[in-house]
Amino acid sequence: MDLKPIYQVLPLSLRNRIQSLPRTILSGLEEVRIRQERPLEVIAAGKTWFVSSNQQLKLDAKDSVLPTREECHKLLNLISNHSLYALEEELRLGYITVEGGHRIGLAGKVITEGGKVKHVRDITGFNIRIARQIKGAGTVILPSIIHQDEIKNLLIVSPPGCGKTTLLRDLVRIVSTGEGCRARKVGIVDERSEIAGCVLGVPQHDIGPRSDVLDACPKAEGMMMLIRSMSPEVLVVDEIGRKEDADAIHEAIYAGVHLFTTAHGSSIEEVRKRPILRELIEEGVFERIVLLSRKAGPGTIEAVYDGKCEPLRSKQCSN
Amino acid sequence: MLKLIGCILLLLASTGIGLVFAARLAARPKQIRRLIGALAILETEIGYGSRNLSSACQNIGDRKLEQISDLFRLMSLRLTTMDGAATYDCLQLAVQDWWPTTAMKTSEKEVFLQFCKTLGNSDRHNQLTHLALVKQNLQVEEQKAREEQMQYEKMARTLGVLAGALLIILLY
Repeated sequence: MDLKPIYQVLPLSLRNRIQSLPRTILSGLEEVRIRQERPLEVIAAGKTWFVSSNQQLKLDAKDSVLPTREECHKLLNLISNHSLYALEEELRLGYITVEGGHRIGLAGKVITEGGKVKHVRDITGFNIRIARQIKGAGTVILPSIIHQDEIKNLLIVSPPGCGKTTLLRDLVRIVSTGEGCRARKVGIVDERSEIAGCVLGVPQHDIGPRSDVLDACPKAEGMMMLIRSMSPEVLVVDEIGRKEDADAIHEAIYAGVHLFTTAHGSSIEEVRKRPILRELIEEGVFERIVLLSRKAGPGTIEAVYDGKCEPLRSKQCSN
Repeated sequence: MLKLIGCILLLLASTGIGLVFAARLAARPKQIRRLIGALAILETEIGYGSRNLSSACQNIGDRKLEQISDLFRLMSLRLTTMDGAATYDCLQLAVQDWWPTTAMKTSEKEVFLQFCKTLGNSDRHNQLTHLALVKQNLQVEEQKAREEQMQYEKMARTLGVLAGALLIILLY
């Protein structure tokens, strides 16, 4: 795992602390949480640790490192390249994608204008989420999605942090490279810059040679734009659930485009309670629904359902 | 004979000093003009390109704007190599290093440093307002420098020769 882009945005003092963590922690690093004057926290392999001032990892927050105001300022300067004006959109959304597709969430005082979030000021909370591309994560469910060279419309359901986006990204890579299937043109509407993790329009993750990305584009509008402009065979969007999304999905699937998408939820029943998703499922828009959990680590495939919510197979791990 | 050579040297030297002063007076408004030009480029980099500060400065540094390019190259260097130190500290260091190499004086330096305080730390609209303001202020400085040039350039030149002559008369 290349953490260099992360080190680049950390001020020297914090960089040294993170770099001197044990290798086992660094290789499984998921999040680094930096809060002004509060304990430095790292999350690795699903466990939370506080970094103490003598570089020990502890479960309690006693005598742990407290990032100073100055360090937080430096961190923000490094993340923003001294240019807050270039991050207006990112500050409005509350996160910044850096090189390598990693994501830095920001918390602070929110400034609103006319009831809408304008930007975040006095930023004192940083959540550095390390993006991991797991190549091969999608191979196991591929046979249930592609049947006799025909792609099924897919919905991936899971609670946050269970590898939804990772699975989606790998499916994009597989379909666009043509690993074990015919290579297809893929159009990605990456509203939150998570799937491709674009920096300056260049995807930071491997999303295959035949993918086009509309970075930071609103989903509904983006789907229509892609259909018009890039003639994709497969449309990929993350986290649907709004009325406009449903309209755009209708447009897409009745235009002969296939769809890979995700939604938050911990069970199929839960998803069916959400009005827009219920409508889509009952209409039979999705031909496959994959449920993920963290039972055997992120990306555990709990079950695969068909369009009528009948399980195809269940309790199978991704590894 | 030796005395005569001495006199000539003295005269040449003082004339030279006078010319240097005159040249500085002439260079100052030109350099301020170029600085304003560079800021206009920065304005488009920020307003339209929405490029980050260090790469915007690097872009201006890569253009052939004589000494001004050096300033922006230095600014870009400081911004990227100072471990995230406050933006103003980085910029100030570059300005302090660079200013003595120019013919510009402290009044325009103050104007520029004041502007550096606002650079990078607000939204685009605000940045553009500050850019417009600093350009205006620099134009005032340029006007003053031009008046100073008109007033003193010729004088500096003649004064050099005359001062030399005076010294010769006194010492001879």
